[in-house]
Amino acid sequence: MFQQFELAQGVKLYVRPTEQFKTINISFKWKQQLTEEQAAIRAVLANVLQYSNAEYETNADFRKRLDDLYGAVLYFDTGKKGAHHIFSLNAETVNDAYLSNEKVVDEVFNLLHTVLFKPRLVDGKFVDSIVTREKDQVVERIQSMYDDKTRYAQQRLLENIRPNHPASISANGTVKAVKAVTNEQLVAMHQTILTEDNLSIYVVGDVNVEEIKEKIASHFPFTARSTELSRDVEAAKVSTENGFLHEIQDMKQGKLHIAYRTPITFFSEEFPVMQMTNGILGGFSHSKIFMNVREKESMAYYASSSYASLYGLIFVLAGIDANLQEKAVKLIDEQLKTMQEGNITDLEINQTKSMLSNQLKEAMDSARAQIEIYDQYKELNESFTVEDWVAKWSTVTKEQISQMAQKIEKEFVYFLSGKEGAGNE
Amino acid sequence: MNETYFEQLEETLYHEQLPNGLEVYILPKKGFSKTFVTFSTKYGSIDREFIPLGKTEPVIVPDGIAHFLEHKMFEKEEGDVFQQFSEKGASANAFTSFTKTTYLFSSTDHVLDNTKTLLDFVQQPYFTEETVEKEKGIIGQEITMYDDQPDWRLYFGAIENMYKDHPVKIDIAGTIESIDKITADHLYECYNTFYHPSNMTVFVVGAVNPLEMMDFIKQDQAAKTFEAPQEIKRFFPTEQTNVAFSERSLQMDVQKPKVIYGIKATNTDISGEEMLNYELSMQVAIELLFGRTSAFYQDVYEKGLIDESYSADFSMEKGYGFTMIGSDTVNPEQLVEKIKQSIQSLAKEGQFTEEDLKRVTRKKIGFFLRALNSIEYIANQFTRYSFNDMNLFDVVPALENLKLEQVMQALESLKDEQTHTVFKVVPFEKNGNE
Repeated sequence: MFQQFELAQGVKLYVRPTEQFKTINISFKWKQQLTEEQAAIRAVLANVLQYSNAEYETNADFRKRLDDLYGAVLYFDTGKKGAHHIFSLNAETVNDAYLSNEKVVDEVFNLLHTVLFKPRLVDGKFVDSIVTREKDQVVERIQSMYDDKTRYAQQRLLENIRPNHPASISANGTVKAVKAVTNEQLVAMHQTILTEDNLSIYVVGDVNVEEIKEKIASHFPFTARSTELSRDVEAAKVSTENGFLHEIQDMKQGKLHIAYRTPITFFSEEFPVMQMTNGILGGFSHSKIFMNVREKESMAYYASSSYASLYGLIFVLAGIDANLQEKAVKLIDEQLKTMQEGNITDLEINQTKSMLSNQLKEAMDSARAQIEIYDQYKELNESFTVEDWVAKWSTVTKEQISQMAQKIEKEFVYFLSGKEGAGNE
Repeated sequence: MNETYFEQLEETLYHEQLPNGLEVYILPKKGFSKTFVTFSTKYGSIDREFIPLGKTEPVIVPDGIAHFLEHKMFEKEEGDVFQQFSEKGASANAFTSFTKTTYLFSSTDHVLDNTKTLLDFVQQPYFTEETVEKEKGIIGQEITMYDDQPDWRLYFGAIENMYKDHPVKIDIAGTIESIDKITADHLYECYNTFYHPSNMTVFVVGAVNPLEMMDFIKQDQAAKTFEAPQEIKRFFPTEQTNVAFSERSLQMDVQKPKVIYGIKATNTDISGEEMLNYELSMQVAIELLFGRTSAFYQDVYEKGLIDESYSADFSMEKGYGFTMIGSDTVNPEQLVEKIKQSIQSLAKEGQFTEEDLKRVTRKKIGFFLRALNSIEYIANQFTRYSFNDMNLFDVVPALENLKLEQVMQALESLKDEQTHTVFKVVPFEKNGNE
């Protein structure tokens, strides 16, 4: 999919020249082991670098410059993937070909250089007032999760099944960790990112590969760094066999979140089979959970499963009446059990194969999705192609799926709802 | 078949109106692997009072019925339509807004088969009392889900504050009580009135051969029989200029207050070029006054009065429209005060220059070119423009021709405080909660 170049040890450039898009997408991804403390520092650093730099004193000045460049998009972001924290810098710019006599792309490269290599430092430190305010912004971002009941319930589930573990650590850290971040730590982290973190650079668009290689090398003089990080995610520390937790908030709906564990991960030989298995269980609107919990019993508007393959976890989520928790869990248990017993139809298998391959092919219509998918699948095979992966699903059999279902074990039920016996009030 | 080439964008649009009145638009996109097909009717939640097809007297139907109908279209005597789409690798969906209902699928294979499924399921209604009853549980959970979303409650609270009589103030899904009144007969009445091909548009975008697709749709439609088209009579109450409530709030289980400052638009009974120019002038005006490069934004951001949830937008359809400036904030009163000051300061002449206008229109042109990479964006927006007699691809030239005086006029229209309202979602009082 992408042409690859090693710019220095631990610094790789991936380019995909294509006429598909009217814009050029650029993405830098710096990887490090994920811990709460480091995630907090990196999240605040992303905000501080975004706000101002040595050339543009205020964010308004910087944004005005971006607006002038036909609303070029340029932003720092943080995320996680398995055991790793990803600090990223992304840009999207209109291709000069669609504008008359403009040189927007070069200007965007200059801006990328500025935000990375010319931070606004006073006596070797970031501006204290900016650091304080951006720490507040990250704290508020973390706290706002409380208002989104689905995200909140999912986070509570993760904290219960995998405390202090990459599966539950947020890419923003915690409120406590963010409040503890110091100016010195930010300066040090900036240096770490520039000189030590494993780095992948992606470019997608109507570009000349040699020119882009040249531009990247001249604008960003990254030097050699250690190449590989351990990709292993530590095993679960606590056993939460058949755990159950019901928490109460002032709300109307019941949010049911169930966690299952499986030894099959993204790196397992059987990964494509587990993708099929999850698809039949609850990945789509033809799946067993949707057909039974929603269509047959009318108990939910949403009811689905998802497979967090890097952590070996499967989640089932449903929004239900607060009084129907037990009935819903029983019904969902039955769907998994029936798959373990081999009750899987050819129709379900064909539908799931079609939907999985459609999903992957469709994603190729977005430059950002091309980058994200390749960034993950290249860990398995750097010459990953969509066609090869679709072929893996095509040979999966009913017996294999049933065997996979037997490797899914229920671990924890989390339920968030209004006061019990709602309706008595 | 009409063919229009948009030179600057390098896009060709194909269009034909079929004998039964159906509008069909096709936009092929090179290099893309999927095709997106939408089938929309100009019928949404605000169409609650109308004269049913073949009748003479107007009726008022239960709130939430357009959305209920959308759900029920997917169920047929032989089962769920999703099953058919899944078999052919298509992701299908539908949504109902204030003014339209759209059914759609996207797929990378079997595009003609899936198009056939889409056309058939939308044009062959099947409602029974039993299936209607069954759906009430599912939609009840959907309504409850939205009830628990503070941002949705905030948005609707602001609209309810602004509109006294216009049905835009009614939640699209209705309420548990209103949907309980819906019967299969209601659904047929609404279906027969609003799902006539002459009230509908098919839009196809992506990896498609336009000639083959147009022929396919024409043959499909020619083989189906429809009653003769009839003009649909819809009734809307006359809405006052002033807001219904100048300030209200709602307590919910949130960690921080949320506020929307709403400004009711006064000039909304328009369409076509007039609407496009008005809408773009308002959007540019809001960007200048409240956008991320504005003096206002800089000030409230540095004072910690807003966070990453901040937004400022203008949106409209024929008959209603509003500006909304909103954020989660530790101090809603102070933020509201700052917004008011910013609008009042407009009295100063010449606050914005040609250069400001140029910068903001460039930003919007860039946004538009980026959006054209997204088949979903095109599919969702094209029909909206078309239902209002506008063309999505006229946005760039209209922006390029926008005059500063038009924008200043738009800013002027924001000043009347009788059209302003504040809605807040605030945390429960401490003692009541734990």
